[in-house]
Amino acid sequence: MPLEQPSDYTVRRFSLDVWKKFLREAAPYKKHMIALIACAVVLAVADAMFTLMLRWVINDLQADAMTSLWPHGCVYLALAIVFASCVAVFIHLGGKISTYLSYDIRQKGFRKLQDLSFSFYDTRSVGWLVTRLTSDCDRLTRILAWGTLDIVWGGMLVISIAVISLILNWRLALLMLLVVPPMAVVSLYFQRRILHLSRKVRKANSHITASHNESISGVRTTRSLVRETDNFDEFQALTTTMYDSAVKNSLLAAMFLPIITSMCAIAVAVSLWRGGVIAQDNPLRIGEMVAFIHFALHLFGPIQEIAARFVDIQACQAAAERVMDLLEIEPEIQDAPEVTRAISQRQANGADDDSAMDGGDNEMHTIEFRDVTFAYESGQEVLGNFNLTAKAGQTIALVGPTGGGKSTIVSLLCRFYEPTSGQILINGVDYRKRSLHWMQSSCGIVLQTPHVFSTTVGDNIRYGRLDATDEDVVRAAQMVNADHFIREMDHGYQTQVGEGGVKLSTGQKQLIALARAILADPQLFVMDEATSSVDTETEGLIQQGLENVLGGRISFIIAHRLSTIRSADSIVLIENGMISEQGTHHDLIARKGAYYRLYTNQFQREKQDEIFRGG
Amino acid sequence: MAQKNTFWRFMKGQRFRYVSAIGAMFVGMLVLAERPVVFKVAIDHMIKGQDAEGRWVGWLGGSLLLAAVAVIVITVLSGLFMYLKGRWAGIASEAVARDLRNKLYDHIQHLRCTYHDTADTGDLLQRCTSDVETFRAFLAVQGTEIGRACIAVLVVFPYMLMVNVPLALMAMSVVPVVLGFAIVFFVKVRNTFRLCDEAEAVMTTRLQENLTGIRVVRAFARQDYECEKFADDNALFRDRRFRLIRIMAVYWSVSNLLCTCQIGLVLLTGAYMIRGGSADAGGLTVGGLVAMLFYMRMFLWPIRHLGRVLGEAGKAVVAMSRLGEILDVPREESHGSGDDPERLEGRIEISGLNFHHGQVQVLDDVTVSVDAGQTLAILGPSGSGKSTLVNLLLSFYDYDPGDQANGSIRFDGRELSSMDQKFVRSQIGVVMQEPFLYSRSVRDNIRVGHAGADEEEIISAADSSCVHESIEGFDKGYDTIVGERGVTLSGGQRQRLALARAILRNPPILILDDAMSAVDTETEQMILKALRDRHGCSTTLVIAHRLSTLMHADRIIVVEDGRIVQEGTHESLVDVEGLYRRLWRVQNELADDLRAELGGDGDSAGKEGDDAS
Repeated sequence: MPLEQPSDYTVRRFSLDVWKKFLREAAPYKKHMIALIACAVVLAVADAMFTLMLRWVINDLQADAMTSLWPHGCVYLALAIVFASCVAVFIHLGGKISTYLSYDIRQKGFRKLQDLSFSFYDTRSVGWLVTRLTSDCDRLTRILAWGTLDIVWGGMLVISIAVISLILNWRLALLMLLVVPPMAVVSLYFQRRILHLSRKVRKANSHITASHNESISGVRTTRSLVRETDNFDEFQALTTTMYDSAVKNSLLAAMFLPIITSMCAIAVAVSLWRGGVIAQDNPLRIGEMVAFIHFALHLFGPIQEIAARFVDIQACQAAAERVMDLLEIEPEIQDAPEVTRAISQRQANGADDDSAMDGGDNEMHTIEFRDVTFAYESGQEVLGNFNLTAKAGQTIALVGPTGGGKSTIVSLLCRFYEPTSGQILINGVDYRKRSLHWMQSSCGIVLQTPHVFSTTVGDNIRYGRLDATDEDVVRAAQMVNADHFIREMDHGYQTQVGEGGVKLSTGQKQLIALARAILADPQLFVMDEATSSVDTETEGLIQQGLENVLGGRISFIIAHRLSTIRSADSIVLIENGMISEQGTHHDLIARKGAYYRLYTNQFQREKQDEIFRGG
Repeated sequence: MAQKNTFWRFMKGQRFRYVSAIGAMFVGMLVLAERPVVFKVAIDHMIKGQDAEGRWVGWLGGSLLLAAVAVIVITVLSGLFMYLKGRWAGIASEAVARDLRNKLYDHIQHLRCTYHDTADTGDLLQRCTSDVETFRAFLAVQGTEIGRACIAVLVVFPYMLMVNVPLALMAMSVVPVVLGFAIVFFVKVRNTFRLCDEAEAVMTTRLQENLTGIRVVRAFARQDYECEKFADDNALFRDRRFRLIRIMAVYWSVSNLLCTCQIGLVLLTGAYMIRGGSADAGGLTVGGLVAMLFYMRMFLWPIRHLGRVLGEAGKAVVAMSRLGEILDVPREESHGSGDDPERLEGRIEISGLNFHHGQVQVLDDVTVSVDAGQTLAILGPSGSGKSTLVNLLLSFYDYDPGDQANGSIRFDGRELSSMDQKFVRSQIGVVMQEPFLYSRSVRDNIRVGHAGADEEEIISAADSSCVHESIEGFDKGYDTIVGERGVTLSGGQRQRLALARAILRNPPILILDDAMSAVDTETEQMILKALRDRHGCSTTLVIAHRLSTLMHADRIIVVEDGRIVQEGTHESLVDVEGLYRRLWRVQNELADDLRAELGGDGDSAGKEGDDAS
């Protein structure tokens, strides 16, 4: 369930800047917009013409001037065809603008999301971001296409009616048009209130959904605590709140139309009365009176539409700001200008030596953390003056309590974040002077919560190296002992894993993620609890496979499992963002400090778990 | 018993109001249909030489001012009825939705646990939210739209016949054409709609997957690849939706052309009839013709919309049957006889208990008893039947003690199945391995089972379960909100919070189902000590994998494949070959391991291993 932010329900103040930016995005569809507006104008004028048509027929009837109906029929048919084609064209144009512009914005936003820093992701849920590029984006483009159409059409229709009626009889016209301003005011008032209330309804609805969700997933707890009645009472309070707002909303809506049609009726009555008085003396002006009645009856449609669209635009203010912010935001971590220059220079020269895309070293010999301090945006420091050096061929195991800063080290290493102060050096060069793309494609990262895409098992592994052959994929799977279970699946490597990999166990997903990283053949290998859900026996087998692969590379491993930790070249115990112990397994055991305690506890846990699994 | 899922069933309590709404709409239309009559009379009156006909003539007496007032009165009156329609339909549909939500919530809470074992949470949630909304929208919108179209035709047709029969028939002839076109069209494009929805779902899924896996995308520097993939899905969605809109453009313009042409045809035919003189005209007047045109506008618009409305109504039928499916599932029935004591002492006797899950025997002749205030530890590999036992004790699963072969469970000598389930559960505090916490404050989560608890009791419970300090460490202390919008608690913190929640209720029986697996050993020992200090209050059942959790129990049973294979105390079990002893030996293995690592100074390491136990 996507999280809704409180701000989703508040009415933002209208600001033109955002919409100007939005219009800039729509610039490629300028021609379509102009055509759409032209269409709306023709539509409005044609609409008014139908009324004149009626006047023409009636007047001719009165004047006995109707010798043939053909001219009337032909003009009417022409009008009808123009009108219907306009309808077809404007729907087509509006559809084109809204769908194509949606596509453009989504594509642009998606690209942006690929490059944004993780600090951006830390404060926003996935559901929230998805909403920006789906419903928010659609709402905006719809407003642009259909909102413009409605406003232009409505405005032109009111103007046409005003102009024609003023020409026919300006005194009567002024009387009739008197009703327009109050109608506009009433419409705006109601639409605004309805908008406000429907926000309340949506908010109440999201609370109800959350409560339902909690009740279903927590049903056993609720029953063991015998809380059914309390829960139900609380839930009823929520549905009552929703009911109250929703009823208020529908009462308002029910009131709106009768009020505005009654106001219209005043204009109709005035037309009938004053127009009728004139027509009584001159039957040739009956047509004129009918036209006025017709016009008066037609006034409320466009006014109501214009009011509704203005309120829509206001309602979309927040959505517009959020989408535009996303398109404009600059990633915090990106290539330095000199790196970008180096890359383009190298591309221009078509260099084909062994150096990396940015002209630097392609191989990693050492990685050094030098006085690295890191704090999240909240100001909470998770790493302080951290120093660590790793050389090619070394495996560094990071151990320590949860929240101690191990995962932060990994994130810094992969440049998901950059140090707040201090440096991370690759072969002695600050990694901020290297290309981000090179850095990240040289890392193989396997995370604790493995992510698989909803495609086949084979393609999930191939994600590590897109041009890998089937044999390469199988070899990678064999190396992590995954080949066996994959072959046992219905379609082997062609098996669809389902959304989020629902058809796989966590352990299986971890193996696939591991195979993917191995296939990528990285220079720096990082595993963050990558095999936590794999059983001990399989982990042992993986260990052997990995040792063959990892030779000559740098690897960082966060793990609980002793077998993994023990074989590391260096074990680093991290507590509260600092290194508290460092050395080989033997050294640290001999020291009998924190690592010793951690080891003895873990040893007993693992052995006991093993006994249970073994039966 | 399954009822038929008719609208009528779900409308209970609001049927009269909803029917009244339709009635009000009928009256409102009827009143509004008088308005063109006023126009007709007024116009005909103006035209000299023509005698006005119709019911308003005598009344208006030829006064235009009166006619004008009549227009206003009619409009306001009709508006009043339309307001009543909106009011009643709105209240009725919201009330039906509210009652339905409440009923579903209460019903789901009371379904048997065996139902929840197999139910798909997402699907259930979907039904409780969007299906209810679909049904509500049907009542509020589509129901009244369908009523409006029918009533419009029904009311207006007689009026038009009164004006002129041939012209009325001609005007009406367009109704079946437009309606048929609308229905056929919306049936035809249903597939296009579906394709469009599917493409949107694919696109959204791709986006969502990319964002959840953004670290993987970065880790392999696959940004460009992802953009290409997304572009495909994005373009497919765009093209399908654009195609849908283009088809809709055809629909709306063709139906528009049909309607305007029909109006034009009536206008010109009417004019032709009037021009030809009263002989052909059948009494048609200019006023009559004008009225006819107004009548046509009254029913054409609702009819054009009917195709779409009916399509939506189809969804409501599906939603109703899905909701009916849930409501037809029988609820758990209380099997209490009403003579439950106020509080149990906590003596548990299980004898000869057998239990089957389908064909599989999960518990096989289990006999064990615990005296009030004692601690029983249960040890066994996963799938050995421990959780089933817990579910039986909590009355989540039913057993049938009537059959001798099933055995019995007695609390204080009373058969479990003769007591009210809610009473039994109120006497048991249970903490699971993965406890469920409510998304409210820490304080509320602790006192959720014992609403009357004061601050002191809450803190004392939190203290006993060693979570007080962690809570104090949060920015907002006990007011910290747990869950999605709040602080994410670690597994150990969640377990300890759930323990505090259970302790606060001070139940006669406490069940810890692998409840401290995520708590570190030192903290665990402190908690166990605190629990022992409360000893005497609660009979405690401990299920665990760790020796440190189990060893202090008064009695320990070892369960394998649903059978008790060993029974005794720590001291007695250590001496007998079996699962317990093997666990015990881990201590020695550790000592060996450390000795091997350290070479010479291994003896002292071994001793420390012993101390830790």
